[in-house]
Amino acid sequence: MKLYAIKLLTIVCEAPAQKNIIEILEKNNVSGYTFYEVRGNGSKGIRGQGLQNEKNIKLEAILQEEKLYRILEEIARTIFSDYAIVTYVNDIGVIRMEKFS
Amino acid sequence: MDIVAIIQSSILTPLILFFILGIVATRIKSDLKIPDAISEFLPIYLLAVIGLHGGLEMRKMGFDNMIVPILVAVGLSVAMTLNHYQILRRLGKFNIFDSYAIAAAYGSVGATSFSVGLSFLKTQNQPSEGFMAVILAVLEPVSLILCVFLVNMSITKNQKSKHYETKQILTDVKQVPSDDSIAVEIGEVRDEASMKQVLQNTMAGKAIVILLGSIIIGYVIGEGGFQSIKLGFEDMFFPALVIFLIEMGIITGQKLEDVKKAGKFLIIFSVAVPTFNGIVGVVVSTYIGLSIGGSVLLGLLFASASFIAAPSVLRTAIRKANPGLYITSALGITFPFNMIVLLPAMFIFSTVLHDAGTLDLSRYFVDGLK
Repeated sequence: MKLYAIKLLTIVCEAPAQKNIIEILEKNNVSGYTFYEVRGNGSKGIRGQGLQNEKNIKLEAILQEEKLYRILEEIARTIFSDYAIVTYVNDIGVIRMEKFS
Repeated sequence: MDIVAIIQSSILTPLILFFILGIVATRIKSDLKIPDAISEFLPIYLLAVIGLHGGLEMRKMGFDNMIVPILVAVGLSVAMTLNHYQILRRLGKFNIFDSYAIAAAYGSVGATSFSVGLSFLKTQNQPSEGFMAVILAVLEPVSLILCVFLVNMSITKNQKSKHYETKQILTDVKQVPSDDSIAVEIGEVRDEASMKQVLQNTMAGKAIVILLGSIIIGYVIGEGGFQSIKLGFEDMFFPALVIFLIEMGIITGQKLEDVKKAGKFLIIFSVAVPTFNGIVGVVVSTYIGLSIGGSVLLGLLFASASFIAAPSVLRTAIRKANPGLYITSALGITFPFNMIVLLPAMFIFSTVLHDAGTLDLSRYFVDGLK
């Protein structure tokens, strides 16, 4: 079976930033994404315990490369300075390329 | 005056002891934890009970006598919020974002503190006006909306005059090459979005929806309809509050580390400002004719800082503000201080104001124990 090369964007950030990130994704016509609550430690201390607001989420979206850079640029420009956030990109393979156009 | 009795009835209560247990548990690194689902459920439940009882009381008392207290409360809340800002900005030398965010958190009101106040009055056998629940609902968004509006105003103004704050935004956004046009664009986009968002987040936020909804439902169903749900929505309130305070104790315990980082000024602010606001609240509400219990509750509302509802709005509405400052001071310092020191003190003060002839205060406390 053939695998098509595509990018996986992963974002770990504080819960309040989730709304802004999803807005950016939707503005760029990314309709598919998955997010879940996570906990861990980072430069802003242990996160994911106690108050709802201090929880962390992890968001994953599969994207074509052209869209990816536009989205990354916008996330970096509008969100990096204000929120606890880590963003990274993987090369992955998918079977049904048409789902991620 | 029997000091032991006063201490026993105001400090050695299940609420405060379980709160302290939560703090101790965290400090000794216990794995004691209230499951997430329960700690999210409890504030909703507490607000539902507060709302229902408020609605029931209002049905008995009518709307007429609540208009003046509500207007006075809103006016005082606005004045206090602006006052907080001036103190933080001029004396505390905080930046504009932190100043407005902390001012908003302290201008807003705490439903948890309100619940503790209700419980305290119950043990002292003091009734309070039912419309206090309405004041709680009205006061919560006022200072948040005010501060976000003022922050946006000053950002826009400074963008035009290319003043210090704008430069600060520019240098904060490290990813942007120092290009004014881009930064101004970001700022403007954010302004529009956040004002809309704030109105949406506060007015349609879960706290306001459940509280106002329950007030209306309580008003509609009346005592007759309430009988069927009385078991869960009356006697269960204080046990539920106890569980919630364990959770608050655990979070407070986690925040104690950060208290040192908050700095001397903020620590003094989080004790002095609630005390001042609380006293003003008690005096004004006594003057407009509220009962002893009502005056204590309104004083407590002004003294309290919001650490659940306000931070979740502020984090997205005033993004440049450091959430560590307003959550830590509101929950780590002001909440325990209000509950343990200020609440009993305001009760004594309110009793004295209402009944200047009675010097035997211990009567009120000892009665509550019987």
